[in-house]
Amino acid sequence: MSAAITDMRSSPRPAGAKALMRVESVVKHFPAGLGQSVKAVDGVSFEVREGETLGLVGESGCGKSTLARLVTQLLPVTSGRIFYEDVELTKLRGEKLRQQRRQMQMIFQDPFASLDPRMTVGDIIAEPLDNFGVMKGRARDSRVQELLRIVGLNPNFNNRYPHEFSGGQRQRIGIARALALKPRLVVCDEAISALDVSIQAQIVNLLEDLQREFKLTYLFIAHDLSVVRHISDRVMVMYLGKIVEIADSTETYANPKHPYTKALLSAIPVPDPKIQRGRRLVELTGEIPSPLHPPSGCRFHTRCPIARVPAPCAETEPPLEEKARDHLAACHFSSDV
Amino acid sequence: MPTPILQVKGLRTEFLTDGGIVRAVDDVTFDLYPGETLGIVGESGSGKSVTALSLLRLVPDPGRVVGGQVLFRNEDLLQISEDDIRQIRGRDIAMIFQDPQSSLNPVLKTGFQIDEAMLAHGTPKGQAHARTIELLKKVRIPAAESRVKDFPHQLSGGMRQRAMIAMGLANTPSILIADEPTTALDVTVQAQILELLADLNRELGTAIVMITHDMGVVAGLCTRVIVMYAGQIVEEGPVEQIFDNPQHPYTWSLLRSIPRVDALRHERLRSIEGIAPDLLHPPKGCRFHPRCPFRVEKCFTDEPSLEEVAPNQKAACWVTMERARREMGADELVDIRPGAGSGVRRGELR
Amino acid sequence: MAVTVRVDAVSEPVQASLWSDAWRRLRRNRLALAAAIYLILLVGVAIVAIFYTPYRMSATGIAPDYATPSLAHWLGADNLGRDQLSRLMIGAQISLIVGVGTQLLVLAVGVPIGLLAGYYRGWLDQVVTFVINVFYGVPDLLVALILVFLLGPSLANIIIAIVVTRWMDMARLVRGQTLALREREFIEAGRASGAKPMKMLFGHIMPNALGPIIVQATFGVPSAILFEAFLSFLGAGVQQPTPSWGSMAKDGVDAIQFAPHMVIAPAIVLSLTLMAFNFLGDGLRDALDPRSRR
Repeated sequence: MSAAITDMRSSPRPAGAKALMRVESVVKHFPAGLGQSVKAVDGVSFEVREGETLGLVGESGCGKSTLARLVTQLLPVTSGRIFYEDVELTKLRGEKLRQQRRQMQMIFQDPFASLDPRMTVGDIIAEPLDNFGVMKGRARDSRVQELLRIVGLNPNFNNRYPHEFSGGQRQRIGIARALALKPRLVVCDEAISALDVSIQAQIVNLLEDLQREFKLTYLFIAHDLSVVRHISDRVMVMYLGKIVEIADSTETYANPKHPYTKALLSAIPVPDPKIQRGRRLVELTGEIPSPLHPPSGCRFHTRCPIARVPAPCAETEPPLEEKARDHLAACHFSSDV
Repeated sequence: MPTPILQVKGLRTEFLTDGGIVRAVDDVTFDLYPGETLGIVGESGSGKSVTALSLLRLVPDPGRVVGGQVLFRNEDLLQISEDDIRQIRGRDIAMIFQDPQSSLNPVLKTGFQIDEAMLAHGTPKGQAHARTIELLKKVRIPAAESRVKDFPHQLSGGMRQRAMIAMGLANTPSILIADEPTTALDVTVQAQILELLADLNRELGTAIVMITHDMGVVAGLCTRVIVMYAGQIVEEGPVEQIFDNPQHPYTWSLLRSIPRVDALRHERLRSIEGIAPDLLHPPKGCRFHPRCPFRVEKCFTDEPSLEEVAPNQKAACWVTMERARREMGADELVDIRPGAGSGVRRGELR
Repeated sequence: MAVTVRVDAVSEPVQASLWSDAWRRLRRNRLALAAAIYLILLVGVAIVAIFYTPYRMSATGIAPDYATPSLAHWLGADNLGRDQLSRLMIGAQISLIVGVGTQLLVLAVGVPIGLLAGYYRGWLDQVVTFVINVFYGVPDLLVALILVFLLGPSLANIIIAIVVTRWMDMARLVRGQTLALREREFIEAGRASGAKPMKMLFGHIMPNALGPIIVQATFGVPSAILFEAFLSFLGAGVQQPTPSWGSMAKDGVDAIQFAPHMVIAPAIVLSLTLMAFNFLGDGLRDALDPRSRR
């Protein structure tokens, strides 16, 4: 194991790197009766570069979980296109879509609910293999054991049931399952949020090791901004169904170009009393608006400390554009942030 | 040192389960001083929430408080009558919980529920209503006069929690126990609530016991902290000292396993090996020894007690980080497996 | 391998599977255990009756009409001088066949319908719900009587009549379970790992709904037995000379003034059997309840 003090995030993938996944103007509205709809994701465009970890953060109602499911097509889009390499995922149906799933897998939040309690661990991990008839018999069994070893579990655990394991171990089982088909892209939907703090570190390290070993690309969704900063090369911030900022993770945290990002960062508690006492919280007025009726113009203007109303903030929606090299933000007054 | 307003001595709480007895709180002793903010921090299974519930005899079945004393104003709260403890709950010692959704009655108006808290302790009706509005203003709920008539589901998560705080403070208690009040909230809302609690503590002088798993929260709000593991206190002391110089390997490891948003470089997190202890069959000797990088022979057999390791700072450890640094090179340690520091392995984890 | 391997400890496995855990808990329920033993004995008697009964069940006049219990005839004789005990034993076969047979068919019909309706929702669900409600609207006794009248009173037709009026309970239960389970994360995980819909339904959802399904089926058996007994009591059940507990009870009620022993035996055994299934069903429900597990 290499020494602890290494800077492994020294090279986030540059802008020209190959995009493994491209999301173009994706919209997802959920009908909510009476002609209304919840605008969970409302026009989102970004790319996931090969080999990177793209973090996705936001508070409740921002649409990040919905976006995770759209990316893996567990939910169909209302409009927009999603490309995996050159394949247009949003055009695929049925069996063709199912075949595509071999490339992109998902790790879920709840280690207790994401494993079928009636199946043995071995069967759970092998299920992706079974679904595609990839391996049978001895080959299948040895792959299951190999996967258990890879995630740091005893290979003899394959006959046990999920309820015999702790939360962290179950999450490892979920990771093993996600790796079974040797996917290129893994979507981690709050994969560590339900775990104890000390176990989170284990899983974060495991994910990083696996990424290096198997050249994986991660879309890492979380609400814990400290963890996201740690594990991600680039970070996307969402608010009320839209992306407000995308940039290199160190850059985002050091020089945010959107007032929401700045407010978010000021709210993260730092485990150091001397520093924490001296920090100033950027107060946001009001509450998060309902996704049924997002505010006009810039969605954030109702709570923004630097908004100029009515023009332009309440009237024109700011486009997500480059404010600095490879640093995009959707704000009329980025320079004031 | 002023006299403490609450003295917990040797508290023991057990749960009777199918598989046996779970010692959720095992011989916990600490003091609470007037007006201070005390953090009780730990992960799941540490016993922090059960400790809080035990203080007010609110432990649900199949749990029971089986030993110890909780001294408040010269009375042992564990011994007084049901009527008496009911008087104290909500009036002298108040508690707020993690999920305001389930703590507030969804079919009653919010204002009414806060009124109730005061009426139950003898405040006349007219006074209660006016005070409710005053309280809602104090917890910074905008448009308090109209919010009073709202039902809980009409309020956002943050506002519900503020309403809970208002309810807790209704009878100006001397102690407010907050059990993970911000865990279920968004980070921006959490920051506001913590600021509110800090301001209320300064203004009203109410002592706050903050139960949390988040070291950042402790760092911001608390003056003293107690670290719990497997039902026991493993370290306690002033917040600056504990964060600066933790003496118990668990505290030390915990602080190193948290990614810092202000870190300058990406350093691999130092996780804690192993899994949370099985409270049905806790490890012999020191409960942390199966996961401790600095364990020695004695840790396997003898349970350490809380000893003073620095002025005002206590830790329950045979080794302590001071020795781990001196003799085991703790700060440069790369291998964090149990026993790696001292070389005492006694067999790998199964 | 570059990846660090850390072999984690696992706590002692208290039980290997959820089924053995349920079995352990069922064993502790004395009432359910007693019920189970009774039912096993009953099945034993029914099996024995295939090969041996003290007398032929249709033999008339082998004892005086309405004879009271004696050493030769432990339960006495009925209005045609037939041995009650032998007829009771055959009656056990009838009841069990009807009870279990109807439930097997109810499972075969209700489970797939419930699964499909609950999983796919949409128009399929609406059609199924509509059909279920229509079936509920019709009084079951009436339907059963009409069916038996039209098709003829054979054992098979009685079973069909009961199934036609009872499948909806199972379908509704399974639909409800499916609706709840399909939102669980492991179902999403199954889809994400490429499972086909049939695999989702029968590999993931059904096994997790098995607990309530089994309990429902267990409660369905006494309900069917009682229904058959009632039909027999009305004369629309199994025809003579084949005895059913219900028809035996009917004959007994007709003679209750002067030969009360005739009604007592079938009435008691019917009640005990119904109670036993109900206690067993209760015990199963408690044993299989995932919430009581640690």
